[in-house]
Amino acid sequence: MTDTDPQVADDGPVRFMPQLISLDYTVRTNPVAAAFGEALADGRITGHRCPSCSLVFVPPKGFCPICTIETTSADEVVIEDRGMVTAWTVLTPIQYHGQQERKDYALASILLVGADGTVGQQRLIDIPLDEIRPGLMVEAVWAAPEDRVADDRGYGLGTAIDGWKATGEPDAPASEYEGHTL
Amino acid sequence: MRDVAIVSFAQAGSLVDTAESETQMLLPVINAAIEGSGITRADIGFTCSGSADYLAGTPFAFVANLEAVGAWPPISESHVDMDGAWALYEAWVRLQHGDVDVALAFSSGISSRSDLGEVLCLQNDPYYLMPLWADHVSLAALQARALLDQGLATEADLAEVVARSRRNAAANPSAHPDVRAAGDLSVDQLLEAAYTVAPLRAADCPPTTDGAAAVILVAGDRAREVCDNPAWIRGIDHRSEAHYPGLRDLAHAGSARLAAEHAGVADAPIEVAELAATFSHEELLLTEALGLGADTEVNPSGGALASNPMMVSGLIRIGEAFRQINEHGKHRTLGHAASGPCLQQNLVCVLEGDS
Amino acid sequence: MELLYRRSLGPVVGAFLTALREQRLLGSRTAEGRVICPPLEYDPDSGDAVDDLVEVGSAGVVTGWSWVAEPRAKHPLPHPFAWALVQLDGADTSMVHALDAGSLDAVRTGMRVQVRWAPERTGHITDIACFEPEAS
Repeated sequence: MTDTDPQVADDGPVRFMPQLISLDYTVRTNPVAAAFGEALADGRITGHRCPSCSLVFVPPKGFCPICTIETTSADEVVIEDRGMVTAWTVLTPIQYHGQQERKDYALASILLVGADGTVGQQRLIDIPLDEIRPGLMVEAVWAAPEDRVADDRGYGLGTAIDGWKATGEPDAPASEYEGHTL
Repeated sequence: MRDVAIVSFAQAGSLVDTAESETQMLLPVINAAIEGSGITRADIGFTCSGSADYLAGTPFAFVANLEAVGAWPPISESHVDMDGAWALYEAWVRLQHGDVDVALAFSSGISSRSDLGEVLCLQNDPYYLMPLWADHVSLAALQARALLDQGLATEADLAEVVARSRRNAAANPSAHPDVRAAGDLSVDQLLEAAYTVAPLRAADCPPTTDGAAAVILVAGDRAREVCDNPAWIRGIDHRSEAHYPGLRDLAHAGSARLAAEHAGVADAPIEVAELAATFSHEELLLTEALGLGADTEVNPSGGALASNPMMVSGLIRIGEAFRQINEHGKHRTLGHAASGPCLQQNLVCVLEGDS
Repeated sequence: MELLYRRSLGPVVGAFLTALREQRLLGSRTAEGRVICPPLEYDPDSGDAVDDLVEVGSAGVVTGWSWVAEPRAKHPLPHPFAWALVQLDGADTSMVHALDAGSLDAVRTGMRVQVRWAPERTGHITDIACFEPEAS
């Protein structure tokens, strides 16, 4: 942080200024996200099935963004904690201060069985990086129940799932995921 | 210029501590505006939104908000980090191109999740003012003092504005419930209250409000086909002051005056003006700057003092000005929006009915 | 939520903040001779670039004020204070800063005030700790 420390340039011209912006927010978890989080804590992944177009959104949004109609708990469906990799990236962690990661790892988008959209940024576990491919079938490795904390804004799966490991099933055919680039 | 009219307006004007996401809040409002327009969603040729992700502290919330529009198949859209009144302005400009006839402008803001007294400091310049955390109420109070010092208003005048705003808010279901619940307060009662930041008292300042609003704009004859009483945008203009408050005479809103001139406010009498005066003294300052006379009714909705969803308040003012024509048979009305510290930016929109 | 930025200052803002460290105040003089303090790189009326920096006084007159009875956590002073617009001697515009005046009754438009310098100065607007009534 020496570059941002104003004490460094004692007598030379002041060319930069540090600006620390800190703001406090009160995040309110909306009822749809709260219900999703409760289900996750119980080891269930839920979504909302649009009563108009039948698409299943995971996590549920409380509405269908295609039909622009509201969805409610009456539209809730439980989907499998198993799915197929549609896309992935391998991250090489830069060792900045506070970095927890040491080795290359993969994050994937996964199309869960029963869902019509992928969940993104999912950690793949015990899968050699050069064996990851679209259609690879994976299943959830759930965190211990006490560690399952949902994202308070309703994004993603929070800390409920440690990652995803290969199931050993045959790969899903491209026809099952080709509409999902991410 | 191509004639463009507002044909529909919807709002969730005064939510309190909403738990909904911005997108959830917007969905029914946008649906209501579209249904009220008699136009199908597929006919909307351009969409523009206004919001600020700093308020709710959700980065890229403005992208998620598009899900409330029905953005698949892909639509033509834009976003401004401004009050929705500026989204309406951009939509109006887009309709001037002539290739699309229908536009949706909407905005949303959740003020209750942050401390506006801190978040709004970030709109100040980052070198001289922001590091002092000079909050918006303190800066507004400097402007109120300028009016008092120059003999342009008294504290009783400020209280008069508050008292009238509250009387009007009582009849407006979209006004903030706390303001409505407080009931009528006399000038004397208002003046008995302690200062928040002198010379402003709590009632001179707006309530923390969450909300959303949407309007449908239609160009040309099609507006008359879908709407019995469209409100034509006869003039619309926005101007800004120098950013740093110490550079200008705070007792006058030069940019509001300029915007009013360019929007043609003085061309004919204005029956009703809805002003985004978020502090009581701003209404006095704006009434003077816009050249509004005693025969103009100001803020029959209660105005921004009665409900102030950040990023939405200005669009609601234009929506209320539309309703005066569309529902109450007025002929010529004005909607005003503001942004920045001490009325730094002002937008003026003059609406006219056919009758 | 917390983010640390490092802002580049440029020749005008940088010079102003450098001078603060030395307990001097600079304004920028426009082509018309108006002195803007704190200085801008441009004339707010014409938009023309301004690079003529001149020294202004460290005392001046209050041109407007508001009174904070209950300071917020991030405000410059922990006890009740005024926000003031201060037109420094030799300047044509006003600076917004805190004024440590003791009580609301002690503040009025037109009063003379002076800079109270921060004991440790780093080239930042808070090198001016606040303003205070001018010593008579």
